[in-house]
Order: sequence, then C-alpha cells, then structure tokens
Amino acid sequence: MRIPILKLHEYLLITIQVEMDDQTALQFQEDLLNKIHDTGAKGVVIDLTSVDMIDSFIAKVLGDVVRMSKLMGAQVVLTGIQPAVAITLIDLGISMREVSTALDLEQGLDKLRLELEG
Amino acid sequence: MDIQSCVEVRNEWDIVSARQLGRNMAKELGFGNVDQARITTAISELARNIYLYAGKGKICIEPIDQLGKKGLRIIAIDNGPGIREIRKVMQDGYTTSGGLGAGLPGVKRLMDEFSIESTVDVGTEISATKWLR
Amino acid sequence: MDNLIVQMINENQETLKNNWLDEVNIFKEKELVAASTTMKLSEETDQQFFELLIKHINYHDISKDGTLDQFFDQVLHTGLPLSYLTQGLQAARRVIVNFLVERISDKERLITIYREIDTWLDPILNRVVENSSQIWERTVSIQKTALLELTAPLIPVFQNISVMPLIGSIDTERAKLIMENLLNGVIKYRSEVVLIDITGVPVVDTMVAHHIIQAADAVRLLGSKCILVGIRPEIAQTIVSLGIDLSLFPTKSSLQKGMESALEYTNQKLVSNK
Repeated sequence: MRIPILKLHEYLLITIQVEMDDQTALQFQEDLLNKIHDTGAKGVVIDLTSVDMIDSFIAKVLGDVVRMSKLMGAQVVLTGIQPAVAITLIDLGISMREVSTALDLEQGLDKLRLELEG
Repeated sequence: MDIQSCVEVRNEWDIVSARQLGRNMAKELGFGNVDQARITTAISELARNIYLYAGKGKICIEPIDQLGKKGLRIIAIDNGPGIREIRKVMQDGYTTSGGLGAGLPGVKRLMDEFSIESTVDVGTEISATKWLR
Repeated sequence: MDNLIVQMINENQETLKNNWLDEVNIFKEKELVAASTTMKLSEETDQQFFELLIKHINYHDISKDGTLDQFFDQVLHTGLPLSYLTQGLQAARRVIVNFLVERISDKERLITIYREIDTWLDPILNRVVENSSQIWERTVSIQKTALLELTAPLIPVFQNISVMPLIGSIDTERAKLIMENLLNGVIKYRSEVVLIDITGVPVVDTMVAHHIIQAADAVRLLGSKCILVGIRPEIAQTIVSLGIDLSLFPTKSSLQKGMESALEYTNQKLVSNK
C-alpha cells in the first residue's frame, strides 16, 4: 500500500488516511524522499488528522523523514495530530520537539511559507 | 466477549492484527478515544518487542471485571532470550535497539498496572491493565 | 453468654457505670481538648455509650442491628476522635473484668468468663474500626471528586487565542484530565496560541513542573504555540534546577504580557476606540 503524494506549486502535500503498518511507513519514507528529489520541492506538509495511533516506530519514521527531507533541502510540517495521539506520544516520552507542527493543512502551508521566506 | 483473544506474533503484520484486536475490544468495553489510543499503542509496543527480540510470541487481550471494576488486560508472552537486567530495562532512556521503540517504561506509563516476569533463555511475560474510568 | 454473669452485671449497673466513667474521664482529660461544648456533649454521649454496652450484653450481639453503627456515626460526626470509642470499649472490658475477678474465685471459671467477655466486645471493636475507616474513605473520595471538578476549561479569549488558568494542586490524575480538556479545547476553538496560566498553582514541585511541561509539549504536537504565564520566582528556580529546556515555550511573568505576545504572534492588535 502506498501513500499518495500530491504536488502543489513548490510544496508536497500528503494526507495519511490509513493505519500504517511498518512496511507502508518505510515505503512512504522512500517515496517522499524520491519525490522531493524529483520535484525539487522546498516544503512538505504531512497531514495526520485521520491517524488514530502513532507508536514509537511510526514516530521514529516520521522524525527520520523530517531530518532526511531537511538534508535534501525541504522543510517539513506535521499537521493535524489528534489529542489522543498527542497524549500517547507524551506518555511514551516522545515529544518530537525537532519537528515543526501546525493545526491543519492551511496553517501548515502558512508556516512553511513563513519559514521559507524568513 | 468474555474470553481472552490471542494473536500469534511472528511478523510485522501481526503487530497490526494485535493492534486492531485491541482497539476493537477497547471500543466495545466502552473506553474513550484517548484510552483506546493508549491501549492500542501499548499493544503495538509490546508486540513489536516480541517481534524484535524474541522472534515470535503471542499477545492476549482480555476483558476483566474485578468486583465491579471493569478493564482490559494485555498479556505479552514469548519464549525469547529473556531480559537479564529488568531494572535497567525499566529505566527511562535505556534502549538496545538503536532508538527503536520507546521501551517498557513507556508502556508502563500508558497503562494503569504493569508487571513483568522474565527469565534468561526461557522467556518473558508482561501483563498490563487499563481500568475503565 | 453466662446468665449469672449477665445478671450480676445488670444488678450492679450503677457501680460498673461509675467505674467506667472514671476511666473514660481520665482518658478525656488527657486526650480531649476541653472545649466546654465538646465536654457537655460528651457527657451525654457517655451515657448513651454505656447504655448501648449494657444492651449489647443483654441481647447477646447487637453489632449487626444498626444501633451501634448509628451511635458510632453520630459520635464521629460530633468530632470526638476514634480513640474515644476504642478506649471506651477497652475501659469497659477492664472494668467488667475487674468487677468479676473481685467476686469470683474459681480460676477456671474466671478464664472462661474472660474469654467470653472478649467475644462480647471484639465484634463491637471491629465494627467501630470498620465503620470509621468507611467514613474516612468516603470523605477522601468526595474530596477527590471535588478537586477533579475544579478542572478548568480552555477559555477562548480572542480569535485563535485561548487561555487555560490552572488552579489548585495538580496530581497525576488531575493532570490527565487537564491535559484532555486542554487538547480537546485547542481542537474545538482552533487556537493558534494557548496561554497556560499557572498563577493559581500553589506548589510547583518536580512532579507538577513535569505535568505542566508535558501539557505544553502536547499542545505543541497538536500544532499550537504554548506560552506559560504566571511564573513566580520559586517556579523559575525549580524549572532551572530541573534542567528543563523551555526554549520552545516562551514564558511571561503575567497573563497580560503573555496576551500581548500572543496577539503579536497571530498578527492581531488591540485598538482603542477613543
């Protein structure tokens, strides 16, 4: 199962709507980095509104994706993390402070625009 | 659903099965969104540990009723190498898998009750309970 | 129960009562604060207490019919300590045993009587302790619920800005509730900025600081900016000595300053109409 990546101007938009198993997550990581490379995208928004569970593995994959994207010249913003998910991440001791976040897709794009201009 | 349901964990997809089993049972028992997420995440972590360290094992989930107090119990069993230093493993920040997995302290925080028994070269059994609020 | 003994006790009630009152008064003088109302109340209570004991001896066992429970409830609610009841019962045991020992010389009989007296009084003693611990647990549970109900909601103040005033002590259970309220509120009001005001938190120790930081981390994960306000000097000390990195959470000393910051961050401004 592959997660669709959409291009909007110089941004890449991803909405994760399925429960990710390990392989899907790793495939997504690979696909995103390839797409960044192919399109030269400068900003990426990953929307997690429909995700109802993030365990330590998925959290690591997401964190890695952010770091790897940065190395390739793209800023990443995670949006729409749900309260239940945030609480479990905090319980697990994962605060992902190195990752940029925003409430929704719109605010995510605004944030990227600010970061890229600033 | 009064009986225990178990999932054999041999590969990554079993982790997903175990999660779904847990979420469904949690939902049916009446746990709210947040606790459903906690339970599902705890199961995922425990199943992943089995897959990573023991190769195979099983996750059992059962509804419990103790003098009117209702809840859900997760039991993770494997016949893997066992944990040599339980105290060390239960310390925050300790990891042997290179950052993968938040470890057992995280699972303990997600749940209300947590107990672990492990014997080197024999196996490990972890039991974690969440009570309905 | 030995009918002769019961008879002996009934016939000598006055003496027994006086001996018992003597013992109880010694205890009261030592232990009770001698407020005159408490003392007066307790005299009536003493009478009731003794009458109940006699009734118990005559009817074999009244520990289950509710009269004792009523009496104990009443006593504990007037503020007399648990020790009044337990000491009173022990004094009754002593007084009755002494009385009987003086009048009965047969050693074997005395031992049997002594054992019997234990079986009279132990059920009452157990009932007292059970009862008072139930009252205790009930009180604690009510207070706990009351404290949980103090959970403050997230208050949307301006567009995109909400405030959560934290009031009272924050234990782990309350922290969980506060966290849920906070996060659900952020989603509901689409708050870009959340001001967490800790002015009303009396004690900020390691655990509380930990809970506050966790709440701030969670808000950030959701995508909102979190500003901590109401930081008193002692709290600043605790946070620094704990080595907590607050670089992601700006802090302001007052809600006012925090609000100015929030308005700036959301490109809003308060304009006077003068």
